[in-house]
Amino acid sequence: MARAARSSNSRSDTVLLSVCLALSIIALILPGEQRRPVAEALRRTALAPLIRLQGAAERGRAALMQRDQAIVNRDSMTVRGMTIVSLEAENDRLRRILGLAQRLRWGFVAAEVLHGKGLGEEFTVALTAGDAAGVRRLSPVVAPEGLVGMVTGTDPQSAQAIVWSHPDFRVSAMSTDGKAFGIVRPHIAGSGASRYLLEMSNVPFRNSLPAGSLIVSSGLGGTYPRGIPIGTVMQELTTAEGWARTYLIRPAVSPGDVTSVMVLMPQRVQSGVASVWTSVAAADSAARAIAAAGDDATRRAALAELAARRALTDSMSAGDSTLQTDSAAVVSPAAPRPPLSPADTTARRRRRRTAPDSVPGTVPPRGTR
Amino acid sequence: MSPGRIAKGLTVFALLITLHYTLRPLLGWRAPVDFLVIAVLLTAVRVRPGTAAVVGFLSGIAADALTPESFGAAALAFTAVAYLASWLKAVFFADNFALNGIFIFLGKWAADLIIVIAERRLHGLDLLQQVLLWSPLSSLSTAIAGLVLLVALRPLLDEPAVA
Repeated sequence: MARAARSSNSRSDTVLLSVCLALSIIALILPGEQRRPVAEALRRTALAPLIRLQGAAERGRAALMQRDQAIVNRDSMTVRGMTIVSLEAENDRLRRILGLAQRLRWGFVAAEVLHGKGLGEEFTVALTAGDAAGVRRLSPVVAPEGLVGMVTGTDPQSAQAIVWSHPDFRVSAMSTDGKAFGIVRPHIAGSGASRYLLEMSNVPFRNSLPAGSLIVSSGLGGTYPRGIPIGTVMQELTTAEGWARTYLIRPAVSPGDVTSVMVLMPQRVQSGVASVWTSVAAADSAARAIAAAGDDATRRAALAELAARRALTDSMSAGDSTLQTDSAAVVSPAAPRPPLSPADTTARRRRRRTAPDSVPGTVPPRGTR
Repeated sequence: MSPGRIAKGLTVFALLITLHYTLRPLLGWRAPVDFLVIAVLLTAVRVRPGTAAVVGFLSGIAADALTPESFGAAALAFTAVAYLASWLKAVFFADNFALNGIFIFLGKWAADLIIVIAERRLHGLDLLQQVLLWSPLSSLSTAIAGLVLLVALRPLLDEPAVA
């Protein structure tokens, strides 16, 4: 009985297997145009919920991938945004160095600056141009902003230079109006950030330099041609010397930021660079002339006002009370004509403002336009 | 088989089918876990060979519906694998952990072999690469997933039936 049942089960299993295999093989050998409707019917009915699940999972995966991509894009944009600042700065530097090259026209060698990061190398740099390019020892190294340093040694393809912060750096300097001369050297006595300033010593006591005055190379000594900007006056330093002044100078060039420079060749040093940085020096000179003219006009107006006051006081003390009142309005022919009535303070102020315009060849002082 | 056992079996089967259509595409692995094979094998060892063949056939047809170009290949493969698994279930009656892993690995690999041969889509180097590299890798990941599921679903899964 049990064997019969087992045999029946075995037979039914075999039949089911045979049917399933047959159906599978029929499905396999069905032509494409007949199997597609069957598959489509299955997808639309029994498999529809599962296909929807799979679609949702695929969308979830795509969203995850897009999120990762979005993060990557955002990070890339952030990095790009950070580099834009440095690119703009580099672009600006390159534009200025191109401008300097156009002004110099000849007698220079362009070089890249390789900053040494080792101990004791903070005051020296390597240049990517050497003997082969025409670089010579003691050649001035300049940037669009002004003087960088001097070449101290050369190889065929490279050169070594000291920058202005080197303890041995010296340059003969002067104010742009040519009245004050001195020697510019690193401010070795300074500590911290002030070590990276310059000082201009041996300036004759009679020459006072106001803060902000531009200092340029004087051309004395033959190493540096006249007219290369060195820096601007910050303040006067108190020294033990009573016969000369020393000024603290803010350098025109920051060596750490310099990446491209020009090395002036000996012929160019001899012929000078008078027209190269003229605009900078001329602007400084003009500014100082404007300030001086303004001061002069103000001084003259004040003197005229003082003279008018004296005349008024004299006339009042000379006459009686009635006459004094009248004479207050009468200007003595002997006395200098006052530009304005002393009581008219508003007009006096106006006069002060307009006074520099009356001086031929000058323009109003700074701060009055 | 009692109605409780049938309900438990259907629950596990439905859960595995759901995983096949949700977790598998979400992971998107090159050697994917085949939850359908796990479902078929776990069911096959608990039913008679004939029933296992029907379950395998239906599962295969469902898989084939999404790939009409090879319609019938998965049905053929799953029918054969399910029937053999059910027929060989006495070997795995001990419910040995390692044997179950090997069983799922071989079942998946065999199903892949039948599918690849039946659909006649791959040839030469691609066929060898699929059969000897990607299919074993997929079988391995399926076996590992199957063992994890066996442990996780043990309360729902009773011991395989004796032939």
